Amino acid sequence: MAGAATLLLLRRRPGRLRLDRARAALRLAARGGARYAASAPRLFAVAGERRQQLREDLALQTAEDVAGTLGAMKGVMMKIGQMASYVDDGLSPAVRQTLARLQDSVPPMSPGLAAAVVEEELGAPPDRAFARWDPRPIAAASIGQVHRAVTLDGRAVAVKVQYPGIAETIAADLRNVALLRRMLRIAAPAQDADALLSEVRDRVGEELDYRHEAASQRLMAAYYDGHPTIAVPRIIDGLSTRRIMVSELSGAVRFAELASWPQHERDLAAETIYRFVFRSLYDVRAFNGDPHPGNYLFQRGGRVTFLDFGLVRHFTPAELRPLLQMARTICVEHDPGAFRASLENAGFLRPGAPVSTQAIVEHLAVFYDTIREPGPRTITTDYASSVVRRFFDVRSPVAAHIAVPRPYVILQRINLGLFAVLGELSATADWRAISEEIWPFTRGPASTPMGEAEARWLVRRQAAAA
Amino acid sequence: MTADLYATATGLVERSAAAYAAGVPEGAGDDGFFGPASVTWRVSADLASPVAGLRSLLMQALHPLAMAGVDQHSGWRRDPAGRLAATSAYLATVTFGERAEAVRAAARVRRIHDRVRGTDAVTGQPYAAGDPGLLLWVHAALVDSVVAAASLVGTALAAGDSNSYVAEMVAAAELTGVPRPLVPSSVPELDLYIASVRPGLRCTPAAAGSMACLLDPPGLDEDTAEIWQDIRDAAVAALPRWARQMYGYSAPPLTPGRRTEIRQSLGVLDAMVLGQPGVLEARQRITLRMRAARPA
Repeated sequence: MAGAATLLLLRRRPGRLRLDRARAALRLAARGGARYAASAPRLFAVAGERRQQLREDLALQTAEDVAGTLGAMKGVMMKIGQMASYVDDGLSPAVRQTLARLQDSVPPMSPGLAAAVVEEELGAPPDRAFARWDPRPIAAASIGQVHRAVTLDGRAVAVKVQYPGIAETIAADLRNVALLRRMLRIAAPAQDADALLSEVRDRVGEELDYRHEAASQRLMAAYYDGHPTIAVPRIIDGLSTRRIMVSELSGAVRFAELASWPQHERDLAAETIYRFVFRSLYDVRAFNGDPHPGNYLFQRGGRVTFLDFGLVRHFTPAELRPLLQMARTICVEHDPGAFRASLENAGFLRPGAPVSTQAIVEHLAVFYDTIREPGPRTITTDYASSVVRRFFDVRSPVAAHIAVPRPYVILQRINLGLFAVLGELSATADWRAISEEIWPFTRGPASTPMGEAEARWLVRRQAAAA
Repeated sequence: MTADLYATATGLVERSAAAYAAGVPEGAGDDGFFGPASVTWRVSADLASPVAGLRSLLMQALHPLAMAGVDQHSGWRRDPAGRLAATSAYLATVTFGERAEAVRAAARVRRIHDRVRGTDAVTGQPYAAGDPGLLLWVHAALVDSVVAAASLVGTALAAGDSNSYVAEMVAAAELTGVPRPLVPSSVPELDLYIASVRPGLRCTPAAAGSMACLLDPPGLDEDTAEIWQDIRDAAVAALPRWARQMYGYSAPPLTPGRRTEIRQSLGVLDAMVLGQPGVLEARQRITLRMRAARPA
């Protein structure tokens, strides 16, 4: 969400130079993320943190309060804003202002209202369903909020509680396809409204049932079980329902504190994040669409805990194949013609577009800059800005022929979110060598101590599976 | 669509929102003429408010003298957004402002009304905007429309609350210069009053022309026009049948699905208003005061 907030901010001052806007936006992304509370904030992001400090006096006390605040399309509009912001640079200032204010307008649930949801879902009020229950939310979450608790068997957990009635309201609002399409056309005229509409309906629809997120998180937690540096909090099965999701609470520090650690520690954290993103994509065939600082917690030695799996997209092997082809042809084989063909196969480039292959490579190479050649590279905020700039560069003659096919819409967050995070850390590593470890078509040897530890973990995994 | 018209439409939301935000006082010294426990405060936050506003204009315009006064004196054709924003500002101040502030705003309006006099070309009758009879019609049309719109596409008022609302709003009529004994103070009295005025109502050419323009503003782009159509359909559907017939509008009753769609469009419009500077803060001030006034 920081990414979304970022891009919203990015467009606020159309008069300034693109470079400055992008850089300021990325700074804000990091700062916004740093303010997040310890667990799973997404939809309401920066506003969410503020509202707990200031707006408990306005807490939603009844389901009617929730409907008044998030019903009649408002919750849906917020989600559209979140999604449109990472695929389109064309939101008008008025639309952006509206979306930002909408987010500010959502106060937390009152302790009584949150407790009522817990009781409806678990059959007992929170002080009986849990050994300890903190009635004050610690964070805003996607259409809900997060409370700290201790389970009856003594585990410290984060409990995500959904606003009552919101799922039904949003489901009804998502059925008004005509109005959604009109809103998308007004909000993001440059986008293919139908592609965005179906992505919005699918993703938002999934978020209404926390069991989807729990399933993704369970999958990730199981895959990374025992990993030397990647941690995914386990879901507490018996306590997770449609409107409640309970996961282990992680005791680690936030991005802001990591930023004050020595560069060596920051590099290690960055390496873990990088490995997590691409191992998840190529081995689990899943991508968490929200790589932003608020979703990571840090410990020394590069250990990172990954939170919030509400926006995970799962890929089929056929959907992944073109991405691998693109990486292989441009980074390993250095074959522009084959790169172009793989772009066309995947639907990124219109076949027969009247632009030279060289122009295409020049246009898109920036996305592969860190991995085209071996050797250590530092990812800077300038590089992250240039990626954002290129992504939104609609004036290039190549841009007119480029489209992002629907399965890959969410992957744009790699370019916009991941590089923003790594740039903020000024992270240095041999990203190419790490990529070669992970790419299925190279499966290169371990290139760092973390890579060696990961290789041993992979061996143990395979042994356990056999 | 024409850029001018878009500017007008945008200006309407911006200026109405600014008027609303300015009308809600910070740190009020008194609760004004209604107060945080009133039904008036509660309905003023209803999503159906734009429908109520449009319906009350449709009702008010059916009074030939009221319409003539607006037509011949108000600058609304030159600056419709400005005219509507002025009304919004007045209503916000009377509803939420301190008593002294509301009295001052009413005095300003009365001074303007004093200058609005003339002869209606259609009926040949003289009119004066300060005439309590005309002011009472304008008042009754508004109060009736708020109840009707809430019941059709908003949060319907319980029967007792509708009566309370009509009774509370007597104070607003009095502020504009209608003697209190003349003002209906319950739903049955309001219905009787409207029935008594009805024989004198008609759709003059000025009313037909103005309202046609309001219901179907020329030059809106397709998407905006469709959202506007939802609000317009609700306003027309909320009219009494005889009023629809005077205008010659046909409107089948709204299906439940259509009402849901309209509410969704109203939510989008409300979000646009909320996006304007100061509106969220003004609403929060009101909410906090209403909560403080709620019996524990």
